[in-house]
Amino acid sequence: MGVVPALTAPDTRPDVAGSTSTADAWVTIVWNDPVNLMTYVTYVFRTYFGYPTEKAEHLMRQVHEEGRAVVSTGNREAMEIDVQAMHSYGLWATMQRGGQ
Amino acid sequence: MRAFRRQKGHYVAQLDPGERDVVASVVADVAELLGAGRLEDGNPPATGEPVPGAPGGWSVRTGPVPPPQDPAVRRLLPDASRDDPEVADEFRRLTEDDLRGRKVARLRALWTALVRGEPGWPEHALVVSPDQADDVAATLTDLRLVLGERLGIRTDADSEALYDGLGDGDEDDVRAYLASVYGALSWLQESLLAVMLAAPERPGTGRRRSDG
Repeated sequence: MGVVPALTAPDTRPDVAGSTSTADAWVTIVWNDPVNLMTYVTYVFRTYFGYPTEKAEHLMRQVHEEGRAVVSTGNREAMEIDVQAMHSYGLWATMQRGGQ
Repeated sequence: MRAFRRQKGHYVAQLDPGERDVVASVVADVAELLGAGRLEDGNPPATGEPVPGAPGGWSVRTGPVPPPQDPAVRRLLPDASRDDPEVADEFRRLTEDDLRGRKVARLRALWTALVRGEPGWPEHALVVSPDQADDVAATLTDLRLVLGERLGIRTDADSEALYDGLGDGDEDDVRAYLASVYGALSWLQESLLAVMLAAPERPGTGRRRSDG
């Protein structure tokens, strides 16, 4: 299954320079791993991104069941910060240009 | 070992001296994997961490930083791209020293809490303040990631099989020992998360939401 666009749509941080061209659009992806606890992954999404519990749980289930989920979108620099935060929490995250 | 409970505004577990020694040694092992030396040997710096290759504090690397060879360390400091070496290399160059330093500082704090205990609390108590809980939960994750890598846990089925097999092995068997520590840390982390999630909602700490 692919990424559900509706999940990423609400996270609409404006780009710093006001540019909203798709060339600047990157995404942070969190991948499933067999070690992290589901409660912990939900906690991280809730705490770090500030997502409501329902959205955090939905993303956690998507990671667990589909193997991955897009958890944030923004420019490359913003995604570097988000990926680094996920790695700090021990989640396995990568970044890539949106739409790939 | 007693699970975390909320007590006097703190999250408190109980570990007997043997359990403390076991967990503290895993903490020290993981810190050493991250390049911190042995925590038992050093005088803890008050702030920051010396990081191999970055003497004198935080500096932006100008050259490439090769990925860690040890798969357990690489799981703690993973690649930021699966298919784009430029993205992965750039990310590692910009962030790896900082990430190592943060993880080592957290490990050192937990190690100190395990070894020294908390004044004013029973000697078996592992006391975590709500402010520290995020770091302790993340550090328990790092410990479990390293143990999971050493135990060869690659899939959710591996993980379930490991939990199902706890207690089956010979206690002298290294794998059974690591598995039992992994299981205990999982249980401890789950109990910490339960009390954290039951606490009143706290403002997000990580991401800056105000840019733009």
